Amino acid sequence: MTIKTPEIESSKNDGDIELSLPLQQDLTDWQTGHEFTVVGKPHSRLEGAEKVTGRAQYSADVRLSGQLYGAVLRCPHPHAKLISIDTSEAEALPGVHAVISQNDQFDIDWYSEEAPLFSDQLRFVGDEVAAVAAVSTEVAADALRLIKVNYEPLPFVTDMDQALADDAPAIHDGDNRVEEDSEYERGDCAAGLQQADITVENEYRTQTALHTALEAHGATAHWSGDELIVYESTQGVHAIHGLLCEKLGLPMNKVRVIEQHMGGGFGAKQTLWKPTLFAALLSRKAGRPVQLLLDREGENLATGNRNSTLQQVKLGASNDGKLTAIKMTCRINAGAYATAGEASNVAGIFQHLYHCENVKTSQVRVYTNTGPAVAFRAPGYVEACFALESAMDELAHKLEIDPLELRRINYTGRDQTGDKPWSSPDGLKTCYERLDEEFGWSQRKAPSSEGSIRRGYGLAAHEWMAGMGNPPAAVFIKLNTDGSADVVTGTQDIGTGTRTVLAQVAAEAIGLPMESVRLLLGDTAIGGVAPVSQGSFTVPTLAPAVRGAGENLRRQILEAAALLLETDATTLEIKDGEIVSTEGKHKSLTVADVCDELAPQSLQAHGSRRANPTDTTIRPFGALAAEVAVDTQTGEITVIRIVNAPDCGRILNSKTANSQVIGGVTQGIGFALTEERMVDHNIGLVLNADLEEYKIPTVADIPTITHAEVNLPDLNANNTGAKGLGELPLIPAAPAILNAIFDATGLRFTQLPINRARVLAALQAQQETAE
Amino acid sequence: MKAFSYSPAPTAAEASNEKDSRAEFFAGGTDLLTRMKLNIVSPDALIDLKSADLPNGVSEQNGGLTIGALTTLRDIEQSELIAEKFPVLAQAAALAATPQIRNRATVAGNLLQRPRCWYYRNRHVDCWLKGGSDCPAATGQNQQHAIFDQSPCKAVHTSDLAPALVALNARVKVRGADGERELSIEDFFAPPTEDRRRETTLADDDVVLSIELPSDASHSVYLKAMDRKVWAFALVSVAAIKSAEGWAVVLGGVANNPVRLGPLEKALENTDASDHNALDKQHDKAFADAEPLEHNGYKVTLAKRLIRRAIEQLSD
Repeated sequence: MTIKTPEIESSKNDGDIELSLPLQQDLTDWQTGHEFTVVGKPHSRLEGAEKVTGRAQYSADVRLSGQLYGAVLRCPHPHAKLISIDTSEAEALPGVHAVISQNDQFDIDWYSEEAPLFSDQLRFVGDEVAAVAAVSTEVAADALRLIKVNYEPLPFVTDMDQALADDAPAIHDGDNRVEEDSEYERGDCAAGLQQADITVENEYRTQTALHTALEAHGATAHWSGDELIVYESTQGVHAIHGLLCEKLGLPMNKVRVIEQHMGGGFGAKQTLWKPTLFAALLSRKAGRPVQLLLDREGENLATGNRNSTLQQVKLGASNDGKLTAIKMTCRINAGAYATAGEASNVAGIFQHLYHCENVKTSQVRVYTNTGPAVAFRAPGYVEACFALESAMDELAHKLEIDPLELRRINYTGRDQTGDKPWSSPDGLKTCYERLDEEFGWSQRKAPSSEGSIRRGYGLAAHEWMAGMGNPPAAVFIKLNTDGSADVVTGTQDIGTGTRTVLAQVAAEAIGLPMESVRLLLGDTAIGGVAPVSQGSFTVPTLAPAVRGAGENLRRQILEAAALLLETDATTLEIKDGEIVSTEGKHKSLTVADVCDELAPQSLQAHGSRRANPTDTTIRPFGALAAEVAVDTQTGEITVIRIVNAPDCGRILNSKTANSQVIGGVTQGIGFALTEERMVDHNIGLVLNADLEEYKIPTVADIPTITHAEVNLPDLNANNTGAKGLGELPLIPAAPAILNAIFDATGLRFTQLPINRARVLAALQAQQETAE
Repeated sequence: MKAFSYSPAPTAAEASNEKDSRAEFFAGGTDLLTRMKLNIVSPDALIDLKSADLPNGVSEQNGGLTIGALTTLRDIEQSELIAEKFPVLAQAAALAATPQIRNRATVAGNLLQRPRCWYYRNRHVDCWLKGGSDCPAATGQNQQHAIFDQSPCKAVHTSDLAPALVALNARVKVRGADGERELSIEDFFAPPTEDRRRETTLADDDVVLSIELPSDASHSVYLKAMDRKVWAFALVSVAAIKSAEGWAVVLGGVANNPVRLGPLEKALENTDASDHNALDKQHDKAFADAEPLEHNGYKVTLAKRLIRRAIEQLSD
């Protein structure tokens, strides 16, 4: 397939200057990137100094006049009926300004099941029962202890397997299945398995993992007359805007959502959670601003998690390594409710990653009396990649084919579910090449042994169903009369560097230096609608629109400059804020000079995001290799080094791209080795709703992580060639580490995380088998 | 956290006199404050010992060492004297918690810390140790719990210093209602009982003054297995000393109190450390009375391996 020349994304310009420049002029640069002066460079974050000096204002830093502080009372039972609640003593406590509960009879529903905001059916430990606003967090906590609740404990089930038993307590009406099984089949999977020379079959389990953003969920709500202003920690200011209006029955011009900086979301902040609405309701009741930020316990119990899974996987292959069949059946622990946002797609990678004619997948979500699951950085794919790539590694081992070679043998450049080509058919192939180069996969040593230490190597590959970006995105650029530019967008920077990357795209497209560009975001009152920052969407959604607006503005500046210079605009360019003649002659002129001449009029331009192409499927890919050491005496696992080669199309900023790789791989190491939400299924309580026993990796657990840049512009995807990156590095980390553990020890683990208890038990079993 | 009064005590004696069952002594606060925030302890009053006339710091005395009660874990970790003469203790301190916590936590508080058991620390669980009728860990998620049965409680002692100090035959100086007294560390620790549901024998009004180390242990080591490289409580730890008097081997993370493996210590005197078979036999004997729970059988293996490693290191 050939690369098309995409059109500039922009709406019709409505300024005074007629556009006459051909749009194609600049495209060469965006194809090769050779002439770039800003895009692709390792630009430090624009807000970096503000953040490291503590001046950046996060939601928790908001202080409004008369501000109150909120707290939430939570159900201590996994399943209970609320018989009665008495808040009178809490309301009487000095310093308490508002209490809300079931007694307020709000007509607001929540979750996909449309449960009441305050329900008398409480379905998980941490389910919200009441909220208070007081002059301090301490008084608010005291008030919670004065609320008298009469619960009737009900039979519960917190274990996913037990939830499907015939005699399991019903969490909602019915059999604890959230929906009918979601089935997919192409070809004839049973026949494919029969044709196979060899099969690999395993049951894999992945744990419930918690997002553990440094900044908890929460908001500050403030009513100014009949207008609600909310400072929120969110991945989508517009999503929160829409949902708040819907829940509160307010017109959209009466609600404004603001967020300038965010301390992590990882998927759990892509939708509205109750605490934000509580802040708004408490603020309305108290007549004062209310800040309600969750503590770590509330955060860990009731703001989402990565659903645990049980996956039954069977692969069939011929002796030459070609897959003849892929079969996967899985159960997903949804928790007590189904939440909005990205769905956990476990089946996707089984359908797409490898060429295979016979594929059958089935997945179903199961209710349990635990906190509701929500998207977590590549939801479904992280869980599934562990299973599929462990099975592929086992297949490679059995067939005595190099794991990388086996993946090349089963390569596909096409979307086999949509029967069309990938937008970048060589993307994954290039990842393999870059990984091989940077890690030295083909030259790697044999697994080694020194004393009780065994060293080994493992790899994993993946694609990712999102990362393509999608409309809508509208961008408006205002050229100030001094030649600087304000780029107004409706997106948000969730800590990934969006502000910086989009400013780079604007600067490049207009021809201005970075210092002349201000990127505005995170405020529903100023920017056009933009999607939630989920699915690695933000850059591939916004950057094309920013580029479109920037090119549009550039043309207007050149037209104006041409008039001033009495020349043809096609002979002019803008470089670093100066008007340059391609013919090498004219008097010196800057963008600022042009603006000065136009003053008091000024130039402005719009750009918007086009629909994605329909004749191709946009896909990012990636591959990752790990070197691991296992102490076979003590079960200690040490990750020695990791190289990750993600295909995110064009890399717009190599520094922020590195940050995504380091952060994603770090989360992957935690998923592989230490992180697991623990529930006692006898009593139904969560045991580690804290940071002490929910163990995220520390700096000491993290090895050198190398980003093997692929940097393959995907101009079939959009006019910048950039695809999403955020979720990619996490997806293959755990299976690569597990495959390296196998290489080192011969131990194949099918359940995460791999802690000392599991390693030592497996080593013991291995020893007993050997004896 | 419930409101409480706060008063700094000028002397240990006054602190002891002031203390009743509704008050708590307070120094580093790294354990007490976490329990107060979790609402599993709600004292009416805190008596701050930090400005009291308690010994602070490390000093040599009568051929041994005195460690003042207020000495921080960081001080112990960084003391050249301890590093040289009591490496087991320096290593234990260095492996505890995080630098921030070690800067704050005191040696006395470290010995008096309550279990990190996730049932004990859950305010919704009325477990035996908190006065309830049974221990949910016995049949629950007991991956981190005791493999030696010392009481109805299955929580383990998570102090890193404790096994080292037991191995060192430390003595603890305390100020109580009847004045000062000194007790051996083995009398200081005791598994909880029906009437005394805590891990030490100290009375309510006892103030720890200092820890006394009678003799050097320059040939000693502390090994700690965690589920993360740093900042985790020990799954199992071992403090081992080899001296002219023989061996000391004490385990942490396996029972309500540190566990001294007396018979193993004796047997080691007559066992060639390079004879793995003989060592393994001794290990098996040492753990013959271990009673692992459903999910913590790995701790037996882990303890044996750590002991073997410690012995190897000290036998070089």
